[in-house]
Amino acid sequence: MIIPDRSEYLKALAQSGQKIMGVLPALYPREILWAFDIHAAEIWDPPGELLHANAHLQTTICPIVKKSLEFILKEPDIINAGYLFPHTCDSLQNLGTQVKDLIGVSLPVYTFYNPKGSFNNTTTKYYQDILKNFQSTLEASYGPLDPEKLLAACVLSHNIDSHLLAIQLARMTDHLSLNNLEYFKLMRAQEYLLPTDYLSLLEQVDILDQPSETPRARLMVSGILPPTSEILEFLDELGVSIVADDLLAVSRRIPKFPMDVPVSPLDYLTDRFFILPSCSTRGGDLDERLHHLSKLMNASQAQGMLFNMVKFCEPELFDHRLLVKTLREKSIPVLTLETELESHISGQDKTRIEAFTELLFEMVSP
Amino acid sequence: MVDLYFVGVDVGSLSTDVSIIDHSGKVLSEIVIPTGVNGSEAAEEAFDSALKLADLSREGITAITATGYGRASVTFATGKTTEISCHGVGAHQLFPRTGTVIDIGGQDSKVIQIDSRGRMLDFTMNDKCAAGTGRFLEVMANRLELDLDELSSPANIEGESAPISSTCTVFAESEVISLLAKNTPREEIVHGLQRSIVNRIWSMVTSIGIEGEVTLTGGVAHNRGLVTLLEEKLGLTLNIPENPQTVGALGGAHIARRAYQRSLEPATN
Repeated sequence: MIIPDRSEYLKALAQSGQKIMGVLPALYPREILWAFDIHAAEIWDPPGELLHANAHLQTTICPIVKKSLEFILKEPDIINAGYLFPHTCDSLQNLGTQVKDLIGVSLPVYTFYNPKGSFNNTTTKYYQDILKNFQSTLEASYGPLDPEKLLAACVLSHNIDSHLLAIQLARMTDHLSLNNLEYFKLMRAQEYLLPTDYLSLLEQVDILDQPSETPRARLMVSGILPPTSEILEFLDELGVSIVADDLLAVSRRIPKFPMDVPVSPLDYLTDRFFILPSCSTRGGDLDERLHHLSKLMNASQAQGMLFNMVKFCEPELFDHRLLVKTLREKSIPVLTLETELESHISGQDKTRIEAFTELLFEMVSP
Repeated sequence: MVDLYFVGVDVGSLSTDVSIIDHSGKVLSEIVIPTGVNGSEAAEEAFDSALKLADLSREGITAITATGYGRASVTFATGKTTEISCHGVGAHQLFPRTGTVIDIGGQDSKVIQIDSRGRMLDFTMNDKCAAGTGRFLEVMANRLELDLDELSSPANIEGESAPISSTCTVFAESEVISLLAKNTPREEIVHGLQRSIVNRIWSMVTSIGIEGEVTLTGGVAHNRGLVTLLEEKLGLTLNIPENPQTVGALGGAHIARRAYQRSLEPATN
């Protein structure tokens, strides 16, 4: 299974004439974009130094926002259809305003304000209204939306979700022969691959009939993004497998359970949004989130939880303290790492991770 | 019975420490030398010195655990374990009723909870800065033109305390410069610095909680002024090892001993 390089893939796509929209994290109706033949290239943690973004943002803004702005300011060739800013947090929402009204990029800027709070009549109606508004906004630039294409996009999305759910389950039960790094590369490839290419990739994933070798220790990870490649490789070296996750970039974007094949796009998109796992960025209920985490930990037999916290990430940090307290009360070992999206792992973090795995190994040793 | 000897080598940012024990856990020799710029060379030198002190040769050593931030550079080790686990085991060996270990090392500080067998239950480490570490004191000693012993003088304990509000070493140093410019007595500044470290450690302790007796390890445990302030803040008496710098190495030696014993278990079944 070969996963194309993000930058090269997108460059080739742009050169082929594909419409590409740069999409900021995290939740947006990708199916509507697909129906307009617009490819969503997500911007989570673009590499590179911060040179210009700091001139526009306060020091206490999270590195995801800063790195995104740095990327946008470079006006990359691969983005040709504009930028979409979902309301994931106040910083991203404000960045949308800043980019549109103050900085003035040459491409169109769109916003999408997801509802905060749980499923109810008001949030449902609101969500359906903003879906329709988003569609109308795009129709103003790209012409009327073909309903058949939207339904086809929803079916494609449903297929992708079905594969991802199966892969997640296989991961939890050791039926996947991918190490930590390979697993998260695969899960994150949906951020930039065309949905049809991504589906082909998922179809190639080998789900084993029998469980593979049991790892030395089993870990669950929570936060916005998975740990860096260097940390994932280090965990692989130590024999620790991340068997489940509660990451916004990964499992919080996959429905909690399988859905029926779409018939009505509007109903499908609404249902899909509201059965996503509880998330700090949607103002989700904390008890519901704890219940979900506990279910995942049990199903995957994870022995400990790693919180990979992006510095200054307000929504996550609000929940983090109580989550840690609750897990500790249940005698579940917890490790929190703080990241500014550095590419390398510090000596201190290496020691933290190694000590945490020693603790987990002691739990399984005779 | 063949004599068995076990070694712990702790390559820290400031000092490299070696402890050699026999099969019963009896300490045969302990060495502390500055790490300098080459952790690998420091480990070799400290190991040789400890062997000489114990009248042993390298060939006679059964197993060696490397620990500390430079653990990967100890090429002659048979295993490696983090200093967090090693300090837990070492403190347990010295004070078996220890439930909490506070280790104030040169580069970082840790609070470690251990069970009745010395196994780590939980831990916390300071952030990515030198606040609340031995390095913090070293920088301040330089700025105040004092040596580290003078920085721990008990005469500093009772006096007035200059306010040092920053937890960042660089900012705290700026505060010290300002205080010196205002002719604030050095004793008051020293007291303020000690209080600053204690407050930093206190916040780590509260995040993890205190269980059982508390043992203080690391070179900063030599600082009597700081120990008194920490005891006052925690409201308890700390266990202070005779050689607080070698507790990690001692723990490493015991971990090597345990690993050796475990390796024999299948053969005895």
